[in-house]
Amino acid sequence: MTTVESRSSVAAVGERWARVDGRAKVRGELRYAADQPVRPCLDVAVHRSTRPHAKITAIDTSRALAAEGVVAVVTGADLYAEFGDRLMTGPAFSDQPCLAYGKVRYVGEPIAAVIAHGVKQAREAAELIEVSYDELEPVHDVDKAVQGAPFVHDELRPSIVFGDLKHLRGKRDTNVNYEYNLRKGDPSSVSGTTVSYDFWCPPTHHVPIELPYAAAWCEGERLELMATTQTPSYVRQSLADLLDLPLNRVRVRTAPLGGSFGAKMYDRLEPLVAALAWTQKMAVKITATREEAFLLTTRHGCAVAGSMTADENGMIVASTSDVRYDTGAYADVGPRITAKSGLVAPGPYKIENVRVKSRCVYTNKPSAGPFRGFGVPQVTWAHESLADELARQLGEDPVEFRRRNMLREGDIAPVGTPMHSADFLGSLDAVTEAIGWGTPFVKQEGTLVRGRGVAVGVKAVLTPTISNAVVQLNQDGSASLLISTIDMGQGSDTIMAQIAAEVLCLGEGDVRVIQADTDVTPYDTITAGSRSTYHTGNAVRLAAENMRDKLVELAAERFGVEATDIKLTSDGLVSAQTQETVSVSELLHGHFGARGTTLTAEANFSTSWQPYDHENGLSPQVTEHWFAGAAAVQLTVDTATGRIHIEHLAVAGDVGRAINPAMVEQQLSGAAIMGIGHALFDQMVFDEGQIVNGTLLDYQLPSIKDMPDKLTPIIIESPHRTGPFGAKGVGETTIIPLAPAIANAVRDATGVRITTLPLTPERVLTALEEQP
Amino acid sequence: MREIELKVNGLRRKLGVADDELLLDVLRREFGTTSVREGCGVGACGACTALVGGKSVSTCLSRAARFDGAEITTADGLPDDDEVVDEFVANRAMQCGYCIPGFVMMAHELLGENPQPTDEEVVEHLEGNICRCGTYSEIHAAIKAAATRRAARNERATA
Ligand code: FES
Ligand code: FES
Repeated sequence: MTTVESRSSVAAVGERWARVDGRAKVRGELRYAADQPVRPCLDVAVHRSTRPHAKITAIDTSRALAAEGVVAVVTGADLYAEFGDRLMTGPAFSDQPCLAYGKVRYVGEPIAAVIAHGVKQAREAAELIEVSYDELEPVHDVDKAVQGAPFVHDELRPSIVFGDLKHLRGKRDTNVNYEYNLRKGDPSSVSGTTVSYDFWCPPTHHVPIELPYAAAWCEGERLELMATTQTPSYVRQSLADLLDLPLNRVRVRTAPLGGSFGAKMYDRLEPLVAALAWTQKMAVKITATREEAFLLTTRHGCAVAGSMTADENGMIVASTSDVRYDTGAYADVGPRITAKSGLVAPGPYKIENVRVKSRCVYTNKPSAGPFRGFGVPQVTWAHESLADELARQLGEDPVEFRRRNMLREGDIAPVGTPMHSADFLGSLDAVTEAIGWGTPFVKQEGTLVRGRGVAVGVKAVLTPTISNAVVQLNQDGSASLLISTIDMGQGSDTIMAQIAAEVLCLGEGDVRVIQADTDVTPYDTITAGSRSTYHTGNAVRLAAENMRDKLVELAAERFGVEATDIKLTSDGLVSAQTQETVSVSELLHGHFGARGTTLTAEANFSTSWQPYDHENGLSPQVTEHWFAGAAAVQLTVDTATGRIHIEHLAVAGDVGRAINPAMVEQQLSGAAIMGIGHALFDQMVFDEGQIVNGTLLDYQLPSIKDMPDKLTPIIIESPHRTGPFGAKGVGETTIIPLAPAIANAVRDATGVRITTLPLTPERVLTALEEQP
Repeated sequence: MREIELKVNGLRRKLGVADDELLLDVLRREFGTTSVREGCGVGACGACTALVGGKSVSTCLSRAARFDGAEITTADGLPDDDEVVDEFVANRAMQCGYCIPGFVMMAHELLGENPQPTDEEVVEHLEGNICRCGTYSEIHAAIKAAATRRAARNERATA
């Protein structure tokens, strides 16, 4: 655990600074988006489809229009008449209208919007809209969908966001909107011990406790919007395209988010309120109910048919994966998930012979999108169950088996990209040591059987992406940081302040992060995919360094010495030659001759990649860097009830360098707790395309009662050569291996290999009963 | 419409409410208490928790008209030196922060009834509140620390 750069005199990076606004959060005084003052808005409610797949033949809005308090009713057809194909938005395919026209593709799809004085009036009137349908045959599961008709979309229309999708234009007669293939060596050419299974992860929901919200209004010839989004720069572009406006006539503001985990990205409520505000020239707002939030986006359900083969020396020699992501009625970012997660389907192992076929498949369900882990937990469910089973069938310790096969620094991943700063081994060793792997334990107590399991995970950071930062240093020595990264609980406002403070020798509380506002804060691709610490962090570091250079120049001028002679310290600027010192405050006052002035510096940080070959899926640089994480668990299974109880869960993530160790630990623990839900009970249940558990009474989430008896988060630091102070992201690393670690422990305890999530008591009991 | 009187965080006010209006909406609209929030609308998450006469109430399920004359406390109305708030801050019991005021009010209710709760009692009491960020360990530690501090303060007061 080395450090990349030596500490400056004022330590900021690596310190456990308190979260900004911590007290305001505890007292509930922090203003989230819906609490922000905006102009008075009318309320919007939508009427939703009751059919999974149907042509809309007629819509009767007369009763809704006549209802008390209603100002306007707008249908998808009305908006299509105004915007044409521009109504279709989406990051990968221009396939999603904010109100359906012509056809509906899932139960719950919005068809018409009511604008009224008051939420209650709007919601009641929305019920009065009558829609006539001509039903079409729906397709509910991925396996049927890949086989052929019925088709969810007649024609695939890629958006212009992803360059690598252009060749799909005009493609018809398929539900597969994207396919990624990895071909290396030939798995059929090798022999040895092979295990193969069909795996399934159901769709799940993010359930951030803050509900999605968006408000929009016209400001003269401009469109303004305040929304719960983690992608303000994307939303500005998307709305500018929709309304056909230059970027400077669209303003997107946001606030700290009450959680998101991927739910509040890309196009959610924003296109609808923008289209309504623009066409009706009204200020409108929409707050999703929890039931509606379940319909906005989900995590991809995913099927994997996988196999893994080892030779007589216990080396993994082949791996195959047929991955099918259920993206629902709209692609959203599914194609990117299909490729970026498909390429790690073989896992963090050295394997010569690999086949991955990863497909993004339309079905008649709510659209799936990004969710903490970005599709990787689903393929990890497969490769970590396979690796574990293979080790057990070889009669080997699952940890030793993994250690021998694991990718190490400089090794080439199956996708063709070398590994750097991805400490799988360190993560694996740390978690197994923490739970006492290898030490004896009582295997059985009455109906309770005890077991231990482990799993590791690998993920590529989203590449390429772009971040900008502006530092504004005030004459009194305090600073403001302008970035478009969103703090949604991960603590970015605090750690970005720490990075700037480290460079500028400022103290805790001296740097304030300005809330994202596209009129003010510069472009940032997205706050997601664990990219911000690295990308925005680097932009902040560079902007702060530019600021430091400016201060040094000013001081050199003031002292009449060379710039190389000046050093910035926590006491201000010092000349080595003359020993003269000046505080930042005095320096700026001297330069401008006034109090309250500002000095500004900015920087950009972008990463590049080498797109994978479309034939074999290989790339020498498919990502800027890798994440490594591991989980180890000791648990009991009650053979009478099927209940799983976690005694000790240890999780580790390689974060390069922890900018704020306290917040890193919270991210590691938080992702692990979310992962416990995915492993044990959390799932969306559909019946003929209809969600049957879309309320928090029915949808189970981890509560304090589901906490393991002991939870140990472990920070691994294998510094990244180009990370800000060596740092990388952390938010996803420990959700990735969580479910297979638990299932592997269940296998250890009971001898049963379960391949379908979640591991509910019923499923465990059934598996125990069917045990040969 | 009915006229009722509410005392919220020490402020007494008469106001008119519709028969089916929720306490949650009235608190937010009429008293500006941003700390009560809708997370589920069905009493399953605890984000909307307020104390009415020291007892926790899911304001998303409660019709305001039924609370005529009630004394209501919300997290943003707690005194500046509140030890539960202080210990939540000191124990870093917040990530996105959205659920936290609800937990703060549950902690107040618990410590009011049971000044020295065991670990099991803390868990039982908080079971109905969801923190999706997974801040449970920190919340638990904060409540135990607040109990200890309150006991020490009470001892000083009676000494
Ligand atoms: S909003 Fe009241 S309990 Fe969830
Ligand atoms: S802190 Fe985010 S939901 Fe609890």
